[in-house]
Amino acid sequence: MASKNGIDRRDEDEVCPVCKSSRYLNPNMRFLINPECYHKMCESCVDRIFSSGPASCPVAGCRKTLRKNRFRQQTFEDIGVEREVDIRRRVMHILNRREEEFDSKRAYDDFLEQREEIIANLVCRIDVARTEAQLQAYAQENMQSIKANQALEEQEATSFQKKILLEQEEARMRQQIAREEYENERREQQATREDFLTRLASGSAADAAAIAREGHKVHLKKSSARRSEEDRIRQKQAALRGTEVKRTGTPLTAADTAGATPGAGLIKGLRKIKTPEPEKPYDPFMGLVPGKRDYYTQLESYPYAFLDKLRSDTTVQAGGYDLQEYYSRTLLEAFAGLGCFVQEEVAQRDATSSLGMSKPASTEGAAMAAVGKNAA
Amino acid sequence: MALSPFASRSPSMTVASPNSALRLKAAASHHVPGQAAAAKPESKPERELTEQLNDDVRRKYIKGALEATAPQGTIEFSLRLTDRIGKKLGEGTYAIVYLGHFRDDPSSCVAIKKIKVNAEYKDGLTMDAIREVKYLQELSHRNVIALHDVFSSKDQNLNLVLEFLPGGDLEMLIKDGDIHYGVGDVKAWMGMLARGVWFCHENFVLHRDIKPNNLLIAADGEVKLADFGLARSFADPYLNMTHQVITRWYRPPELLFGAKQYSGAVDVWSMGMVFAELLLRVPLLAGMSDLDQISKICEAFGTPTEENWPGVTQLANYVADKAVPVQGRDFFLRQFPTAGPVGADLLMSMCVLDPRKRATALQVLQHKWWTTEPRPTKNEDLPRKSGTKKMGDDLARRGGETDDGPFKNAARQLDFGAMK
Repeated sequence: MASKNGIDRRDEDEVCPVCKSSRYLNPNMRFLINPECYHKMCESCVDRIFSSGPASCPVAGCRKTLRKNRFRQQTFEDIGVEREVDIRRRVMHILNRREEEFDSKRAYDDFLEQREEIIANLVCRIDVARTEAQLQAYAQENMQSIKANQALEEQEATSFQKKILLEQEEARMRQQIAREEYENERREQQATREDFLTRLASGSAADAAAIAREGHKVHLKKSSARRSEEDRIRQKQAALRGTEVKRTGTPLTAADTAGATPGAGLIKGLRKIKTPEPEKPYDPFMGLVPGKRDYYTQLESYPYAFLDKLRSDTTVQAGGYDLQEYYSRTLLEAFAGLGCFVQEEVAQRDATSSLGMSKPASTEGAAMAAVGKNAA
Repeated sequence: MALSPFASRSPSMTVASPNSALRLKAAASHHVPGQAAAAKPESKPERELTEQLNDDVRRKYIKGALEATAPQGTIEFSLRLTDRIGKKLGEGTYAIVYLGHFRDDPSSCVAIKKIKVNAEYKDGLTMDAIREVKYLQELSHRNVIALHDVFSSKDQNLNLVLEFLPGGDLEMLIKDGDIHYGVGDVKAWMGMLARGVWFCHENFVLHRDIKPNNLLIAADGEVKLADFGLARSFADPYLNMTHQVITRWYRPPELLFGAKQYSGAVDVWSMGMVFAELLLRVPLLAGMSDLDQISKICEAFGTPTEENWPGVTQLANYVADKAVPVQGRDFFLRQFPTAGPVGADLLMSMCVLDPRKRATALQVLQHKWWTTEPRPTKNEDLPRKSGTKKMGDDLARRGGETDDGPFKNAARQLDFGAMK
């Protein structure tokens, strides 16, 4: 096809392998292929043979059953390339893992290699049945992730398209602005020159030099003013464009995170998707048990003459003093230390201690037991 | 701050008896946590056993000197900072705070608070130091500042080895306009505060100086109750306690009325005030004097009367100017919309005038606000301070004074140096 009219010449003597009619006799002839067997035949043959439903391929020795709706025009002249592209497209459609789904770059590379191997197998017809089975199994298992990744790809494609369109639009706008600017400048120059000439024509000879100087100055001022005004507009537009690009960019990142779903026995090295463990309910006490008393239960009131005056003293009551607290503290102090085995705690501390920290291994019991004597 | 037992101290302070000071000297060597089993070198029999133990502890720490091997960026940063200005974290009238570390582990920082020998207490030590040692060495909880060791140095100075908390305090976060926080953050901070207070009360220790300034933040974001200089045990019958405690804005009405017997409810009121301050980002009741504080409380929550608080009129300093009815639930809902209805309920239960009807620290923790949405923020996600204020900074203030009042920022505002 190096020559200018190569296509035409090739088409001229092309013959349909089925009906043997050539392009020479039928210049509107179109050839179609079916991705089942990639045998080429003309459009009229397809119509003739497959209009009444699926039939076997008319090419001698090919027993593949073909359907009319699968016939299409070939993209590449080489049928081998056409077939490989088809296979590639199909496999890529199924094995559409993305780099961010893998643990490491290495794992992703391995995946790419594996995919190429599968494609090569299918193209070269090596181990087709097994490879196909693998592919089918994978597709079944990872339906969701495949779909998610497909959606993602589509989104990327559309956003890319949009970006391209946007850029084109921008370029067009820039050109238009530049053209208008040039036009304006030209027109203004023309106008000033005309104005200048009419004034020169109407004025006296003495004014000529002054008019000439003034006209020059006005022109300069105008052009500089216009330039700054245009700069301002341009900056505004640039800022606008920036925000728009950002806006189109954001949905992608949101969708990225949604793309990941577990699975895949075929592909190794996929990142483990951690389903976040359901958070434990917030414990306001952080593990300590409130009001736990091992050895006694506290009564409402204890008969003790010493405290009788206190019970009836409203001033004391009004201050918030609570005898219950006294009972509680007294009992706690009386029982404190029971069930605390210092040796065990020391052994535990020695086993766990590092850094040579000198804090005693104070358990809850020990801490609770540690109540100071009154001072002040 | 923990390291400033003298900041914002009430004017009337119980004077240390020489007796308790003596006891403390013994405590400096005897009551050191985890030191009982330490090796006792028998080589120098001429020295007293207490002295030997004391030396053992003292040798465990190195004041100031530091290697650049600090593991975390933040810590290393503050280390460098303090290194430059002489390893001193802060200094006050009664104490100097140094940065130090374990001798055998340079990366584990501690704050060493050296109590100055004071002219006022020639024959002993200040009450604050005694209280701090006495209560801190017995409390071991995530939300209470840890006291690692106590030792005395050559010149008979008492040194407290405290946990180093580089994260500043809650007051800084409240005041820093650049820091934004939400209900989840407030819930996390309040949860940590409530746990610390509950643990103290469970061990019958009253803190008696809860305010944002005393709630220090560790490197991991954990809030820790600090400054036990006013702490004491409670529930002793017939034993009078002073009512001149707790920074005024956080002082409950029963203390303002001069009650001599009180309970953990005083700390709960302070917690309520801290809660309100966290929500509003300004102190809720900033009274100029004790009387002003009473009237502010009356205005905000209602006037205490015999009906809503039986026996209140018999309290020593009871005053009531005008009768404001006690505020109901809708007042709290209106005033603190950010807390949500459940949070407003909790705050209301902490701000009940009658201390007997006020929630206890246990009831606060049992409230359903903790389990309602939003969930408390995780420590690592909590807002951090942005500045470089250090632990012990406010030691520079003299005892008893607070930086409130109308002219507190005057010097900073009238900065003529910038006008050149």
